Amino acid sequence: MATQRTNDDIAIIGWHQSPMVRVTNKTETQMLLEVITGAVDHAGITRDDLDFTCAGSCDYVAGQAFSFVQNIDALGAWPPKRDSHVEMDGAWALYEAWVRLLLGDIDVALATGSGRSSTADPNVIYPMEMDPYYLAPLGVDAMSFAALQAQALVTSGAVTERQMAEIAVRTRRDARSNPVAQVSGDFDVDVLLAEDYVRSPLRRHDLPPITDGACAVIIARGDKARELCERPVWITGFAHYAEIHYPGLRDLTKAESVTLAGKAAGLEEAPVEVAELQTAFTHEEPLVASALGLGADVVLNPSGGPLAANPIMATGLVRIIEAARQIHDEGRQRTLAHSTSGPCLQQNLVCILEGN
Amino acid sequence: MTTASRQATIRFPYKRSLGPVMGAFMTALTEQRFLGIRSGDRVLCPPREWDPNTAADLAVEDLVEVGPAGTVESWTWVAEPTEAHPLDQPFAFALIRLDGADTTLLHAVDAGTIDAMATGMRVAPRWRAERHGHITDVEAFVPGETPTGGGGFPAEEPVTMMEYDAAITYTLPITPNEQRDADMVAQGRFLGLQCPVCSRVYLGSRGYCPVDAVALGTEHELELAQKGTITNYTIVTPVQYPGQTETDPFPRVHVLLDEHEVVIGYQNLIEVPLDEVRIGLRVQAMWDTTGAAAELEGWIPTGEADVEDPNLVNRIC
Repeated sequence: MATQRTNDDIAIIGWHQSPMVRVTNKTETQMLLEVITGAVDHAGITRDDLDFTCAGSCDYVAGQAFSFVQNIDALGAWPPKRDSHVEMDGAWALYEAWVRLLLGDIDVALATGSGRSSTADPNVIYPMEMDPYYLAPLGVDAMSFAALQAQALVTSGAVTERQMAEIAVRTRRDARSNPVAQVSGDFDVDVLLAEDYVRSPLRRHDLPPITDGACAVIIARGDKARELCERPVWITGFAHYAEIHYPGLRDLTKAESVTLAGKAAGLEEAPVEVAELQTAFTHEEPLVASALGLGADVVLNPSGGPLAANPIMATGLVRIIEAARQIHDEGRQRTLAHSTSGPCLQQNLVCILEGN
Repeated sequence: MTTASRQATIRFPYKRSLGPVMGAFMTALTEQRFLGIRSGDRVLCPPREWDPNTAADLAVEDLVEVGPAGTVESWTWVAEPTEAHPLDQPFAFALIRLDGADTTLLHAVDAGTIDAMATGMRVAPRWRAERHGHITDVEAFVPGETPTGGGGFPAEEPVTMMEYDAAITYTLPITPNEQRDADMVAQGRFLGLQCPVCSRVYLGSRGYCPVDAVALGTEHELELAQKGTITNYTIVTPVQYPGQTETDPFPRVHVLLDEHEVVIGYQNLIEVPLDEVRIGLRVQAMWDTTGAAAELEGWIPTGEADVEDPNLVNRIC
């Protein structure tokens, strides 16, 4: 099936990930310097070829207001660049870069995601980003939000703790072939299930690691993409939806915004072979997969996913890289990447990728 | 691997206005009552100013009393509470549907053990004796039907503001560049890094050239001069905000170092009357070497003639 691509189609032509580590000795700018150099090298271009750049990072994670302004140093922003920033995962930075290229007047754009979660206690940072009246003063952390959703799913019968442990075992096993994975290896379900809860019904294996890391992705418009890249990975659908913030106002056994984002990205038009999902907690994988209507034959998170490495603000963009890699390096034809933000999967993004 | 690091704590002392609906909810907490808000055929608790599904305005007249007891719809046991959590001992976070409400309130349940927790269990609030109109006026919910705790007094005036004082302590790695720079400064010397592409020289802590986006390492190091010329300055009149220890106006100057032309910004100028601070003034570094590590105190005039160059003022980096 050879689809005719036009100059209005946009493709991923290069990417790079930093090592995913528990503690880095680099600044965020230095991590970005490395991945941007890696991505332009991978695409066979230079920084001068970048017409637009967009970064995803978080001041609360960085511990500095307007922390992104010094990250611009990693671009080599002289002469000045058209630059933008989102206080979101890099997946949303790529979305903005994609929208920018759709305008048609420029050809090449860069998106990055970066974060050093090691610099402070994520359990203290996370509440700062929640509803400041009803949630933040209680110090509700990401693990607790996830656990409330997990409990709702377990109670409804949608998933069992054993199935959750099996997901952890599978992703850690798959992560063995991921050179930048932080958590990988062979584990036994019964041994994992014998451990104590961190936030019931979640045990340590149900949680993502704390990760420092960054990544960069380069996209180009049709003609330029074909000129620069032998096997461009085409973005054929890209959409995101958000739902209500306060978890008490939602049915936590559902993920409506995942379904809507999938539909808007054209997921129903043809089956995907691989899905890289930003499911940082084990129970989220079956919930998101079912909200997307993915069949049992779809390979989920072959990279190990966020349970193998979870660089906050880059985890979603890494999913897009891994889904692109499946096409570029592994010969797949159609893959999906998902990113999420907010408590209990509040906001969700779906990106559909195709080879040619 | 341990990485050298430094710690910094950032405080976020916010004051927020509550608006009519949340203000009424918080005021009711001081009266040991819960309010929800009617929206169509539902009652939302905690109350919102808008219906989250339709964005319809919700009116203060539609506030209704709910609870005080309720039913746990989901929960998680927190075996090891953090300092940000409302209780020091193990507890549960729970989604609680207060009687009369159609949505759930997220709060803590003090149940003693995980075995006492179950979806569908009944809970009631344990009120604090002192209540200020804050979500933590409920210390926690406890198993059962009957509210406990409380006493004290309701707010004398409607609650309109909320204070939220959070702090995050960051442990930031000291990069190899920063460490080498600090080691040189401890000897009373300045480290520079020269970009191999554009030949610009930067202070040693930077670690990369921002123009060429090239990483700079030990092979790019050189030592910077101790003398230079003031290129620009400002006189700061201190405003007494928290943390400001200065009381009298003081100068901050940019110094263009001799030889490698690096600008070192926002420096202290010593022993110069404020009306004599000027562009072109020749200065040299003054170090305090009484301790184990030298510390830069600031810059003092060399006594040399001023540099007359109209372009100097543009050199701020």
